[in-house]
Amino acid sequence: MTRIAVGMSGGVDSAVAASLLIDQGHDVEGLFMKNWEEESEYCSAEQDYKAALQVCDVLGIPLRSVNFAKEYWDRVFQHFLDEYKNGRTPNPDILCNTEIKFKEFLKYAIELGADKIATGHYVRNRKRKRETQLLKGLDTGKDQSYFLYGLNQYQISSAVYPIGELEKPDVRRRAKQLGFENYNKKDSVGICFIGERNIKDFLQQYIPEKPGIIITSDGKIVGEHDGLMYYTLGQRKGLGIGGGYSDDESAWYVLNKDLVNNELIVVQGHDHSGLYQKCLTASAVHWISGTAPNQEKLNAKIRYRAKDTSCKITDLNMNEISVKFDEAQFAISPGQSIVFYDGDECLGGAVIDSSSN
Amino acid sequence: MYYFDHSATTPVQPAVLDLMNSFQSNVYGNPSSVHSQGRKARSIIENARKQVAQSIQASPNQIIFTSGGTEANNQVLWSMVQKETKHVISNVIEHPAVIKVLQFLEPFGLEHTLVPVNKNGLVSVKDVENAILDETGLISVMLGNNEMGTIQPVKEIVEMAHEKGILIHTDAVQCLGKMEVDVLELDVDFLSLSAHKFYGPKGIGILYIKQKETLSSFMIGGNQESGLRAGTENVASIAGIGFAAELITTELDQHIDQLNQFESQFKSGLKAFFPNAVFNGDPSNTIPGLVSVSFPGHRSDILLAKLDKANMAVSSGSACGSGDVKPSTVLSAMGIDDDINISTLRFSFGSSNTIGQVDSLLAELKSILTNR
Repeated sequence: MTRIAVGMSGGVDSAVAASLLIDQGHDVEGLFMKNWEEESEYCSAEQDYKAALQVCDVLGIPLRSVNFAKEYWDRVFQHFLDEYKNGRTPNPDILCNTEIKFKEFLKYAIELGADKIATGHYVRNRKRKRETQLLKGLDTGKDQSYFLYGLNQYQISSAVYPIGELEKPDVRRRAKQLGFENYNKKDSVGICFIGERNIKDFLQQYIPEKPGIIITSDGKIVGEHDGLMYYTLGQRKGLGIGGGYSDDESAWYVLNKDLVNNELIVVQGHDHSGLYQKCLTASAVHWISGTAPNQEKLNAKIRYRAKDTSCKITDLNMNEISVKFDEAQFAISPGQSIVFYDGDECLGGAVIDSSSN
Repeated sequence: MYYFDHSATTPVQPAVLDLMNSFQSNVYGNPSSVHSQGRKARSIIENARKQVAQSIQASPNQIIFTSGGTEANNQVLWSMVQKETKHVISNVIEHPAVIKVLQFLEPFGLEHTLVPVNKNGLVSVKDVENAILDETGLISVMLGNNEMGTIQPVKEIVEMAHEKGILIHTDAVQCLGKMEVDVLELDVDFLSLSAHKFYGPKGIGILYIKQKETLSSFMIGGNQESGLRAGTENVASIAGIGFAAELITTELDQHIDQLNQFESQFKSGLKAFFPNAVFNGDPSNTIPGLVSVSFPGHRSDILLAKLDKANMAVSSGSACGSGDVKPSTVLSAMGIDDDINISTLRFSFGSSNTIGQVDSLLAELKSILTNR
């Protein structure tokens, strides 16, 4: 019997994960983690905790609560702000996994006597001779391995992921059967601490606005922006560019950000060739196995919702990597991560710095 | 289960429970009814009122029953909204059942000042005096603090304030059974108590009111409790608080001796293997049996969880809505830094404990603190 501390979020996935582990005969405890201090309509920690309590009551397991708000602020949120200040589009959920869930939370659970932790992630792991592999969840639409590429061998092998073997509708059905009140709770999307609110309103509280002009790739001024940090490459909505600047009625897209001149560069049409590029460089390279893969040909995706695409690593050193895709990719965004796969196996990844053709 | 959290709540005395159960089963009359069932219920209530009054040297007609300490505090503070003098003085380490009420009442025109405390959690009479305005109508200072047990100079504050015609309220929920609570000696105008802190049931408390004209009703409706607290009385629980108050005060000296014994056993045992322990509060002026200790370098939530696994109940700072431990605002107000603050546990002993249990607690703590 293994003692397992399940990270209970108040959501349906971790709830069903806990019940599966109990069914497998493990000694299971719930552990609720609070990473953000804010008493407002946007932060649902209190409701989430109550939902987790209800689940633990049904399962007859204890629930404890732990606060990592300070660690989160120092190691995840500060980095998130720095990235935005530099005009990049960070993914704090990746850092939250490596720095908080699979570091502080894991340490805490072990200190409390757990042998392993469990989470409600849609991923699986597979033990090979000397290494533990991270695999995509069976429900490919829900697969979350993208967010876990930064884990090391110890982190991956210290956790179990019971939900990775299931499909989401099955998870909800089980939750309903078990009497979990959260069985119908909608999936959380976006960045946890921002919640339902507009990212722009949120960032305004932390980073001063720096308005400037919006300019086309051929130098025509077509509008004004409130600050480059509010835009992501490839973004279409919210540019506020009216008609009349050209005969072409196609939508405008963010092509690039000129940080030096504080200009937002836009182009027209989703098919505009400037939006598509084949090459990128990335840093902060991490391999789950500890060493770079041997094979030259891999699959990769450049954002969570992208498809795996064939590519090869053209240059590789300790901390930097150059990648060339077979086909040009839409809006490669600095700050987002490129994550590599060999079939179902997640190999690792890196944070994108630049792109080119 | 070894229970060392008597400041949070206490187990109900078996004799009190028996009495309540018997009344709950047999006396169903409405105390306002004139028939014999009603009269029976009425007499139970009036007997309990006498018992509570005697336990704090009050007259029975100065006691009203409430749903607990929180309601009693609320009633006093809400009463101030209707007065000419709309300023209240309290302090930074009061219970939320005072501070949050004062904040809530601001838009209703009731202003307040919270005076600071020193590093032992003590309010200074001088600070209170300096905070007095022409409009000050009430001073609310708890008798004994719930987090580290410091006993406030309520009597001195009363002497100073009564010269200026200001009313005094004290929240004494932590104190009955652990020290003499004498309203004649203290000379306060209002005093709140809660039964579940002295081996009585939850959901029942009292408010002592020196002169009824100074208080307004808070629950509006029927004419119960001299019109000061409407609602059909909770007869069995009222009987419970009356009997519990009588029992704890007739055995006050033995109870205090017992608590002091547990406390000194615990403190000396702890110092022996963990000399870095920091004892919070004013050592010379504190409720017996309540020990607030900081364990530098350890997180209180981990300590709490480990003790819980060993089936031992203690408490840490103040748990919030999402169950996690935050630095205690009370300890922060005393100038204790966050690292020490989040390493703090509260041990509160009670009559359900034995010396053997205290020894087991020490043994468990020793293994947790020294085998990392």
